Amino acid sequence: MLPIAVDAMGGDRAPDEILAGAHEAARLGLPVVLVGPAGLEGCGDLDLIEASEVIAMDDDPGKSVRTKKDSTLVRAAEAVRDGRASAMVSAGNTGATMASALLRMGRIKGVNRPAIATPIPVPGGSPTVLIDAGANAEVQAEWLVQFAQMGSVYSRHRFGVASPRVGLLSIGEEPGKGDTLRKEAFELLSRAGGINFIGNVEGRDVMTDDVDVVVTDGFTGNVVLKTLEGGMRTLVKALLAAFASKPEYKPHADVLLPALLPLYEAVDPDTTGGAVLLGVDGVCIISHGSSSARAIVNAIKVAADMVEHGIVDEIRAAIASAPVPTRSAE
Amino acid sequence: MPAETHVVPDPLDRGQIFVIVRDLLVDILELDPDAITEGKSFKDDLGADSLALVELVEALEEELSERTVGFRIEDEDLADLKTVRDAVDFVHSQLNTR
Repeated sequence: MLPIAVDAMGGDRAPDEILAGAHEAARLGLPVVLVGPAGLEGCGDLDLIEASEVIAMDDDPGKSVRTKKDSTLVRAAEAVRDGRASAMVSAGNTGATMASALLRMGRIKGVNRPAIATPIPVPGGSPTVLIDAGANAEVQAEWLVQFAQMGSVYSRHRFGVASPRVGLLSIGEEPGKGDTLRKEAFELLSRAGGINFIGNVEGRDVMTDDVDVVVTDGFTGNVVLKTLEGGMRTLVKALLAAFASKPEYKPHADVLLPALLPLYEAVDPDTTGGAVLLGVDGVCIISHGSSSARAIVNAIKVAADMVEHGIVDEIRAAIASAPVPTRSAE
Repeated sequence: MPAETHVVPDPLDRGQIFVIVRDLLVDILELDPDAITEGKSFKDDLGADSLALVELVEALEEELSERTVGFRIEDEDLADLKTVRDAVDFVHSQLNTR
C-alpha cells in the first residue's frame, strides 16, 4: 500500500500530537508519510512531503485552498491525486480539508456533493453512520439519496453490516413528518435502489441499534454530532463527580470503574478515528480539531482500512448502478 | 529549417464562452445541459454553493489558461458572479482586455 499522507500541521495540538500518532502508526506497520515544512522537528525517520504554508483553523475554506497552494492540506490532497499517497488524514480546518480534497482529488463521477460520514458509537452494537456531519449546510433531496447510498457502502465495509438500515432524520417516524426537504427526501428514498430504507428516525434513535445509517443535511448532522459529544462528556463528568462526592462511595467506584472504562472508551470520539469524506475520488479522513496522538493512530488505521476495502471504487459502482429517482409530478 | 511558428487561437466569442461555462457546470453540478441558461442564478436556480463556484473558477482557469497564459479570476471578482451571464460576461471581458 502507498503511504498515508498525514497533515503534520493540522489541528489544535499539531504538530506534537500528530507526529506522535504518525510515529505510533508507523511502529504498528502502517505506511505513513508526513506533510509539513522542510526540516520539521520530530519527523524522525518518516518521509516528508514538503509544504511551506499552513491553513489556519479559521481560514475561509475555498479561498485558502486557492491562495495557499503550498499548504500542508493542499499538498496532502495532491499526493493522493498524483499517486504518491493512498489516502490523506488531517485534523485541521474541516472546510479546507474538504475543499482541498474536492478541488485536488475531484468528485466521483455522478456524485452531486461529497458528504462527511461519522461513526456514532452504539454501546454493545455496531456504530451508526451519521451522514452528512457537516460538509453541506444546505442540501437538496436528491443529495440525501446519494448520502444514503454512500453511507450504506461505508457501513458495509467499515462495520460489516450486510444490509445497512437507512433512516432519514426527522421529527417523527411517520412519513409526513418534517419540513419540505424531509418530505421530498422521504419520497425519493422510498423509491431509490441499492439501499435498505426503513423510514424516518428521530434524534433519540441515533445511538441505538435500530438504525445503521442516519441521513441528514450537514447543518443538522453537525448539531447532532456536537450535541451527542457534549452530552456524553457532561455525563462522564457528572458520573465522576458523583463518585467523588462522598468518601464512602470511593470503594464502590473502584469496583465499578473497570466496567465503566471500556464503555467510556467506546463512546470516546478519539476511538472512532475521525470522519470520512465520501464522494471524492480518493480516501480523505477528517479528524476532529482536538485530536490526540491516539485519535491520529485510529484515523490512520481507518484510512488504511478504507484503502484496502477499495471504498472509492465501491462508491463509484454504487452511484453508477442506482441513479437517484426523479421527483414525482406534483 | 522552417521558422518557428506560434499558432494564436482565434478569440472566443460570447457563445463559445457560454458553452465552456455550461459544460463545466454540467460536470460540477451534475445537471442536464438544458437546465443551464444565461439568466440562471448560481445559488437560487442551480443550487451551487460557494465551493461549487470555486470548482467552476478553478476549472475555468485551467481550461482558459491554455489559450490565455495566466488567466485568473480573483476572489474579489468571484463574489460578483451571481448568474451564468455574469460569469460569461466576466470571462469575455477578461479575454478581450488582454
